[in-house]
Amino acid sequence: MMPLERALIDFLLHFVAREELNAFLRSPQNTATLIGCLIAVSGALLGSFLLLRGMALTSDAISHTVLLGIVVAFLLMTKVFNLAGDTSSPWLIIGAALAGVGTVLLTEMLYRSGLVKQDAALGLAFPFLFAIAVILVSRYVDDAHLDEDAVLVGEIGLAWANTNSHCFEHCESVTVEPDHPAAKITRQCQNCRELGISARDERAVFAETCSNCGRYSPAKAWSAGLLEREPVLVFFPKSISVTLVMTLLTVAFALLFYKELKLATFDSALATALGFRPGLLNYALMALVSLVAVGAFDAVGSILVIAFFIIPPAAAYLLTDRLSVMLILSPIIGAAGAYFGYDLARGLLLGLFPLSEGIRLVNRLFGLSLAEEWNTSISASMALMIFCLFLLAWVFSPRYGLISTMIRRANRRRLFEDQVVLAHIHNHQHTARHQTELREESLHRHFRWTRRKMGRVLMRLRALGYVKLVARCAELTERGDRHVHAFRQTMLEAYNIPDIE
Amino acid sequence: MLLGARGTGDRSVWFIIVLIFALGFAFIPLSQILFGLRFTYTVRVVALGGSILGAISGVVGCFAVLRQESLLGDALSHAALPGVALAFLFFGRELSLLLIGAGIASWIGMRFVAALLKTTRIKQDAALGIVLAAWFAAGIALLAYIQSLPDASQAGLDEFIFGQAAAIVEADVKLISGVSLFLLLLLALFWKEFKLTTFDPEFAGANGLRVGAVNTLLTTMIVVAIVLGLQLAGVILMVGMLVAPGIAARQWTHKLDQMLILAAVFGAFAGGVGAVISALDSDIPTGPMIIVVAFALVLASIALAPGRGLVWRRLRQRANRRRFAAQNVLRDLFRYALAHGAADSPAPDAFIRGVAEGSADLGLRQLLAEGQVEAVPGGWRLTAAGIAEARRQARNQRLWDLYRLYGHELGLPVLQESRHSEISELLQPAALAALESRLNGDDER
Repeated sequence: MMPLERALIDFLLHFVAREELNAFLRSPQNTATLIGCLIAVSGALLGSFLLLRGMALTSDAISHTVLLGIVVAFLLMTKVFNLAGDTSSPWLIIGAALAGVGTVLLTEMLYRSGLVKQDAALGLAFPFLFAIAVILVSRYVDDAHLDEDAVLVGEIGLAWANTNSHCFEHCESVTVEPDHPAAKITRQCQNCRELGISARDERAVFAETCSNCGRYSPAKAWSAGLLEREPVLVFFPKSISVTLVMTLLTVAFALLFYKELKLATFDSALATALGFRPGLLNYALMALVSLVAVGAFDAVGSILVIAFFIIPPAAAYLLTDRLSVMLILSPIIGAAGAYFGYDLARGLLLGLFPLSEGIRLVNRLFGLSLAEEWNTSISASMALMIFCLFLLAWVFSPRYGLISTMIRRANRRRLFEDQVVLAHIHNHQHTARHQTELREESLHRHFRWTRRKMGRVLMRLRALGYVKLVARCAELTERGDRHVHAFRQTMLEAYNIPDIE
Repeated sequence: MLLGARGTGDRSVWFIIVLIFALGFAFIPLSQILFGLRFTYTVRVVALGGSILGAISGVVGCFAVLRQESLLGDALSHAALPGVALAFLFFGRELSLLLIGAGIASWIGMRFVAALLKTTRIKQDAALGIVLAAWFAAGIALLAYIQSLPDASQAGLDEFIFGQAAAIVEADVKLISGVSLFLLLLLALFWKEFKLTTFDPEFAGANGLRVGAVNTLLTTMIVVAIVLGLQLAGVILMVGMLVAPGIAARQWTHKLDQMLILAAVFGAFAGGVGAVISALDSDIPTGPMIIVVAFALVLASIALAPGRGLVWRRLRQRANRRRFAAQNVLRDLFRYALAHGAADSPAPDAFIRGVAEGSADLGLRQLLAEGQVEAVPGGWRLTAAGIAEARRQARNQRLWDLYRLYGHELGLPVLQESRHSEISELLQPAALAALESRLNGDDER
C-alpha cells in the first residue's frame, strides 16, 4: 500500500502545497467525508447490479459474515503467528473476502440440498456465522479496534488519526543503539531476587537494557526529538488508501465487464448461451462485494454498510430506466448522502437546518430536558442521509415518484369521468327520454355519483366548452360533439371495430 | 417410497418432541452433575424466560419460513432499534414501554415495506434492505446521542443489539408468558385462516377471506414475537431465532400442527440452553449463543430427519445402488447360464466383470451375502435360491413389459412404473391374472 500512497501523494503535490495537503487530511471532517464518499461510490456501483438481480439482501448477509473472516484472521495472526494485531492488515482483508464468498457458498449449499428455501437459507446462514464471530470477539479478542461497537458503527470519525507518514525531504531514519547518545539505558540486577541479595552485593550480576532502542522512521524520529532538522512529511490516513483502491477496483470491474454484467443481470440464460460464464461473473461480483464490505468495515461497521449498498441504487432505480444512467446516478446519490451525512452527525441537516432547534421544540412540547447538542455517530448519519435522499427520490421522481403518480392517476380519473359523462349525453340527447336522463339536478343518479362530484364534472365540461345547459338539461355543444366523435373514432380504431353508425 | 417416508416422518415427530423435551428438562440437573455447575435462582429464571421466548418465536417464525418471508424477520427486528431509543428518550428505562416503542417502530417499518412494494417497482428484497438499514441507522444515531447525555440510566440500552439474558427478571418472565399466551390464543382463533393464506392465498381469497387483513395480523404477531425476543437475542440475530426452529421442524414433518409444536420445542431448547450458557459466562453474549445452539439443531435435523434428511438420503441411495447392481449381476449370470446349457452352469469371472463393469463387485458381494451365488474355480454359479430369484425377477420384468403393452387394453389401473417395484404387489389379484394370461410360456426369454 505504501508505494501506491506515495505515488498518489506525488501526484497530488503537483496541484497543492504540502502544508495544504496535510491540513486537509488532518481535518476529521475531510477525511471522514472522503472515505464515506469512496465507500458510497463502490457500494452503489455493486449494489446496482445486486438490486437488479434481486440479490439485495445478499449484501446484507455478506457484510455480516465478513466479520467472521476478520476475527478468525485476526485471531490467527495474534494468537497463532504472534504478529501484531493490526486491523488494516491485508491478511484480514483476505480472510474477510473468503468469508464473504464462503457465505454465498454455504447459502447455496443449504439451498441446493432441496431441504431449505432460498430466503430461509440466507436467514439461517448469516446469523450463524455472525453469531460465531460475535462470540469470538467478546470471548477472545481484546483490542480497541475490534470490539462489538466497532462491529456496529465503525470509526470513520477517527480515521484521520490512523496514518502512514511519507517523508519527502531531510529524510533521516534513525537507528538508536545502546551507544547512541539518546539511548535510555537502565541497569537491572538479574539474579538479585533468586539469590535474595541486594544490588550492592558483589555477587550481583547486572544487565543493561535499552528501553528506546530500535529503528525510527523520520516521522517518529522527529517526534522523539532525535532529528535537528524537521523532515518534510505528509501524513496519509490508512483508510483512505484502502477505500480508494477498493473503489478503483470496483469502477474498473464495472467498466471492463459492463457488457457482460448487463447481459448476465437481465438475461442470464442468453449470457450462458452466448458463451459467457454468468456463474463465474457472479462469484467475482460476490468477491468484490465482500472486499468492499471489508474495506468499509473499519469505517462504517458491518451493518450500516448495507445502507451504502442498497439504498442509493434503489433511489436511482426510481429515477431512471437505463442501467448506464443508474450506474452514474447511484454513486452520486451515495456520495451526496455521505457528504451531507457528516453535517447531520454534527447537528446540521443539509447544511441548512440546525437539529438543536428541533430538539428544543421537542423539549418544549413534551416537557423534557434533552441535551440540545446533537453529536452522534457519523456513519449512521451518513446512512440516514442517504435514506433521506431516497425519500426525496420516492416522492419527487418525475416518472415513478409519489407525486407524479398521483397527478397521473388524478388526470386519468378526470379524463375517464369526462368521457363517461360525454358519452351518456351523446347517447341520450335528442331522444324522447332526454328530459329524464339529462336533467341537471338528477344527472348524478345515473352514475351513482354524489351531486357534488357531478357538479364538478359538469362545471369542467362547460368550462371546456363541450357541454351546455338547455332548459336545465345537458346537451353537447358543437365542439363537444366533435370531441365525442373523435374519441369514438380513436377507440374504434384502437380495438379494430367496424363503424356501424 | 415417498408415502412410506412421510409415514415414518410423522410418527417419529412425537418421539423427537419427547426426546428434546426430556433433554431440555434434564439440561440443568445434568450439567449440575456432569460439570459441577451451580444454578442460582437467577439462572433458573433466565432459563425459563429463554425457553418461553424461544418457543413463541419458533412457533410464529414457522409461518415466516413457510411463506418464504424469512428475511422479513431480519428487517423487522433491526427496525425495532429506533423505537427502543425513542421510548427511552421520552419515558426512561421502563421495559414494557421500551418494548412498545420497539413494536411501534418495527410495525412502521413493516408498513413502509408494504408502501414501497405497492407504490414503486422496488422488489421485496430491496425494500426490506432499505428499511433494515435506514431504521437501524436511525437507532444507532439515537443511541449515540443518548450515550452523549449526562444521564447515567442509559447503561445497558445496547443490550438490545446483541441481547443480554442475564437482565431478565421474574416480572419480565410474567410479561413474556402473558403475551406469549395471547399470541397462542390468536393462533388458535385464526388457525384456519393462517393455514389457508399461507398455503393457498388465491384459494383463500376466492373463498372470501380477507387475505390482506390476515397477512397484516400475522406479520403483527411476528413483530410482537420479535419485540419480546429482543432482550434475549438482540436485534441483529433475532431473525435466526425466528426462522431456525421452523426450518429444523420442517425437516421432520409435513403437517403444520406438528411443525409448530416441534418448532416450539426446538426454540425452547435453543433459547433455554443458550440463555443459561451465556448467563454462566458473562463473556458470551446471549443472542449469538442461542443462534449457535439453534443452528446446531437445524444441521442435525437436515442430516438426520427420517426420509428427508441427508444421511437417510445417502443411505437410501447406497441401498438402491446395491440392489440395482445385484439385480443386474443376477440377470446376467442367469442369461449366461441359460445360453450355456443348464440354469446352474457356471459363468467365468471375466464375463461378469466385462458386462457389469464397476458394479460387479458390489453386486456379487450382495448376492453372496444373500446366498444366491456361489464361487466356483474361475467363475460364479447360481445357487437354487439364486435361480428362483432370477426367475421371479425375469417374470416381474416380463409382466411389466406386458403391462406396458396391454395394460390399457385390459383396463388395468395406471401404475407408477419402476423396474424395481414388484408388479404383483401393485395390482389386484384379478388384474394380475388377466395380465398373466398373456404370458405364453416364454417367461424365461
